[in-house]
Amino acid sequence: MTTAANSYILWLTLAVLGLPLMASLSCFSIKQKVGWLAPLLSSILLLIASILASILFFQIGSEYEVSFSWVWFNLNQKEIALSILLDSKASIMMLIVTIVSFLVHVYSIGYMAEDYHQARYFGMLAFFTFAMIGLVMGSNLLIIFIFWELVGVSSYRLIAHDQEKETAIKAATKAFLLNKIGDIGFLIGLIILWSWSGTLEVADPNLISIPPFWLATAGVCMFIGVISKSAQFPLFNWLPDAMEGPTPVSALIHAATMVAAGAYLLVRIAILFTEDVLILIAITGAITTLAGAVGALFQFDIKKILAYSTISQLGLIVMAMGGGAVQGGYFHLLHHAFFKAGLFLGAGAIIHALHQVNQQSNMDVQDIRNMGGLRKKLPITFISFMICAAALSGIPFTSGYVSKEFILTQMTMWAGNEFSWRWIVMSCTWAVTFLTPIYTFRLVWFIFYRKPQHEHNIEEVPIIMRIPLIVLAVGSLAMLSSLSPFHISSVINVLQQSYPSTNTIISFVSIALILISSAAAFYIYKNQDAKNQKLVTPQYYLDAVSNYFSLLTLKLSEATRWFDKRIDFLIHGISYFQITVAHITGWADRYLVDGVVDGIAYSAKGVGAVTRSLANGKIQSYLLWAMAGLVIFIVWILY
Amino acid sequence: MHLLSLLIFIPFGTALLALLVPSRYGNSFRAITLGVNIAQVIILLLVLSHYKYEGGFQLIEKIPWISIDLGAWGVLQSEYFVALDGLSLPMVALSVFILLIATLSSWTLEQNRKGYFVLLLTLNGAILGSFCALDFLLFYVFFEFMLLPMYFLIGIWGGTKREYASIKFFLYTLLGSILILIVIVALYISIKTPDTSDRIVHTFNVLHMQDFNNLIPDSLLALDSIKLVGVFSFRYWAFLLLFIGFIIKLPAVPFHTWLPDAHVEAPTPISVILAALLLKFGGYGLLRFAYPIFPDAAIHFSWLVGLIGLISIIYGALNALSSKDLKRLIAYSSVSHMGFVLLGIASATVEGITGAVYQMFSHGIISAMLFLIAGVLYDRTGDRMIGNYSGLSSKMRSYAAFVLIAFFASMGLPGFAGFMGEVMIFFGAFQSSSVNGLLPVWMAIAATLGLLLGAAYYLWTIQRMFYGPFSTKNVTADLTDLNRREFSMLLPLALAALIFGILPQLLLNYINPFAGDFVNNLFQRGNLLTP
Repeated sequence: MTTAANSYILWLTLAVLGLPLMASLSCFSIKQKVGWLAPLLSSILLLIASILASILFFQIGSEYEVSFSWVWFNLNQKEIALSILLDSKASIMMLIVTIVSFLVHVYSIGYMAEDYHQARYFGMLAFFTFAMIGLVMGSNLLIIFIFWELVGVSSYRLIAHDQEKETAIKAATKAFLLNKIGDIGFLIGLIILWSWSGTLEVADPNLISIPPFWLATAGVCMFIGVISKSAQFPLFNWLPDAMEGPTPVSALIHAATMVAAGAYLLVRIAILFTEDVLILIAITGAITTLAGAVGALFQFDIKKILAYSTISQLGLIVMAMGGGAVQGGYFHLLHHAFFKAGLFLGAGAIIHALHQVNQQSNMDVQDIRNMGGLRKKLPITFISFMICAAALSGIPFTSGYVSKEFILTQMTMWAGNEFSWRWIVMSCTWAVTFLTPIYTFRLVWFIFYRKPQHEHNIEEVPIIMRIPLIVLAVGSLAMLSSLSPFHISSVINVLQQSYPSTNTIISFVSIALILISSAAAFYIYKNQDAKNQKLVTPQYYLDAVSNYFSLLTLKLSEATRWFDKRIDFLIHGISYFQITVAHITGWADRYLVDGVVDGIAYSAKGVGAVTRSLANGKIQSYLLWAMAGLVIFIVWILY
Repeated sequence: MHLLSLLIFIPFGTALLALLVPSRYGNSFRAITLGVNIAQVIILLLVLSHYKYEGGFQLIEKIPWISIDLGAWGVLQSEYFVALDGLSLPMVALSVFILLIATLSSWTLEQNRKGYFVLLLTLNGAILGSFCALDFLLFYVFFEFMLLPMYFLIGIWGGTKREYASIKFFLYTLLGSILILIVIVALYISIKTPDTSDRIVHTFNVLHMQDFNNLIPDSLLALDSIKLVGVFSFRYWAFLLLFIGFIIKLPAVPFHTWLPDAHVEAPTPISVILAALLLKFGGYGLLRFAYPIFPDAAIHFSWLVGLIGLISIIYGALNALSSKDLKRLIAYSSVSHMGFVLLGIASATVEGITGAVYQMFSHGIISAMLFLIAGVLYDRTGDRMIGNYSGLSSKMRSYAAFVLIAFFASMGLPGFAGFMGEVMIFFGAFQSSSVNGLLPVWMAIAATLGLLLGAAYYLWTIQRMFYGPFSTKNVTADLTDLNRREFSMLLPLALAALIFGILPQLLLNYINPFAGDFVNNLFQRGNLLTP
């Protein structure tokens, strides 16, 4: 490539990064009076950014890699660079992030129309996007870490957008603190790499030429970061709580930013992970994916069901990346962004529509037991929701099917023919493939098909909210990522690797499995009376554990506070001792020393009085004393 | 061009002149002080333009000060010796900046303005003098000179328990000063000037003190002195005394209890100066005096330095978590953050030393911001209890925005200066075990807990005070948003925290040469002694 082309790409890249930042800053500086400008402005800037990102994506293509680097600062004569690495993986992620974010922006114009703090909301939403894009394009681990934390902070602010809602604030704090654990893991990993290799560039081969023990440790530490960010076991329970935030924010968190950041990092630093760490990754993913799927089965809150499904899907992706299905996992991450955003925005539309008519009653508009029969009242939402749900379940002709089948094929081949621990991981893949349609169609059944539980005169959401739904539903169809609906033959070979040939048996088995479970879901839930079901929240005791830890910390802090007072007591004791001693010496000074002095003075006075009485001014007495003295003198001399 | 002398003596001179102004011209004193601050900013810019990015001392001014012939005891010699290097320049720049902010923050003070501003000017000169002085006696004089204005500023203009707090502050600092003085005396009798005349000339010159050739053979602190006091040689004891003397100032656990009291009682501007500048003398003293003069002892005790740093980080953070008073919380967070400085110094790696200096600078900016924030609330209501407020962000929007910035900056969010310092310290502390074998790896890893706790106490405070529905307890005052003066104090600090977080090279240009030389010197000379 020529330099001219390079600088063209550089400008494109910086524009894609800069536009959301610009949107964010301008939203924050907008006056409250013209607050309505903020949504428009940021949506337009995001639209431009996503157009530029798509140009960039086609420029980069599948084989081309561009990197830019500027010296940021020098530490101990080593350079730390502001560096960007654009390959096909990064550019497609940037494209997805900008598109999904743009759609969420547009949707939010309708959803947040009545919110007083619109400017702040859109400013933060754009900043969230900015942070995620920076994370995607950065190639220096320190830069990635910086954007990683910014992603965390943005999510904190967005979850707590409704500042008067206690639950939302608690959820935000919890999300941030659990993420901080992961951030610290990331930081330690980064420090290990810097200490041993002296570089932080992900593309620098020196990065991994370090002692194997430390390489593995660094890998585990980095993976702890992924665990918290991508909501893996055991740090996933911030994600269901984070549903307290506005629904479009949930869509963004679950689709393109935040949870995607962790999984993306796994791909970006894949060279770091040694065989042992990959085992850990695969097993963690397997536990998470099952826990999430089972959790989703027992929820009644529409958003929480989706949250648990995100946990499950992210677990699947992480498991795939830890196992032998990096490509499949990455594809699924991209597809997941679309259909999960679609599902969340659909859920948001349902909540919005119900909320409009139920503002007075205190019915929980997020509880699926209060819904039912909405397919006639919200037709557009219904269709788009159905398509996305189908993609989530992995029904053929959708994008979800393509990538899920890809994962299944790769995982099955990876597991091999002889029984080993890999088989357990692989069977988790199949189990989740079976469970996903069940909870998905349970959700669909409750919302759209069941007999209406309440008489609502609800209306379809405004057009500005419908458009993103339609776009995301179309994006969840198979043809976008694969020309053939039954196996991967991507328009662009994103991962620069040859794809495995499809295994017909696996395809047939998986299709059969998915269809059976979908049918089973309809059959099971058709006859179920939801009213009598108790609300179960499977937190897997993780909340208890984290509460226990925070309680422990608080107790510890009370203890240190107590101890701190003791230190003071010591000081006070010493000063009291000093003062007592001072009083004693004062007393001694007054009565002993002064007494002696006084005594001397008194005796001097006495002596003085005597001698003074001698000097009485009478010549006769002087003469007498002189004579007496003379007599004594003579007597003394003579003898 | 006697730039440094101008920087130091303009405030002293002005303080003397201001004494002549009758106290009924109350408003003139703050204008005079502000004028001095602005003059100092201009001088600082000149200093920066003359300073080159290289190691060693620059802008040296050296005049004989005291020279007494003691007959058989040799000659006592002390010089007026001031200069700047990559350690003192950032500190001086920070001081000039913070002192300006402190004057602005004192603008609405009513009570006895003459006394207050004269003391403030004295404090100003003493702080700058201490950072520039390279003669130990001169440093000590300036250092002690800070103590009295500080004592009165807390004791007269402070809160309800001000007498207790100021006495406690005074006694603690005095104890530290005495320990330092003992070492100064010991150094004085063990060090001679390098000239070869037959008379021994004793000197306080710090650069001479750093050269082993200037040690008088068989003196108290001679390298081969086999005299032991208890378990250590005199040199080790001298290092420990200096170390304790300076970490009282830092402050590090367990010598920190004066800090929360002093902060809680001090008026806002004094809290700002105390946290942003006075605490820095702890780290500065270790880097300028204790480490270079006793490199052998410094290497020997590095584990102790690191351990106390680690304990301060965790212990300070835990105490902050349990604090019910906003200002006390911030004070304990200072203990925690200054623990990082200690950890960086203990690592004795280039990264760690760079990080320690960076952290001192960034903590100066961020803690100033935090104390101003606490002051804003206190000015309005006279109440700082966290539990008495809820949902402040709906009432005071721009105030809440600055609080959020300051809290996140303080908890080490990337993009702010605090993060850069902490990251470098972690780099250094972790590397130490493989580079020089001084600190075990677990210390660096345990210190990261401080980050988690930091996030916990700040987020918890935000959650309790700023979010949720608006309500207050026992507070009747009107909660108005920031006024223009407060805004103009907080904004530059926030921008500075951001600029030094995004463009660290601005500061590293100065620190890098210093840190490299420092570590080289330490090991070249320190390792001569270790078997």
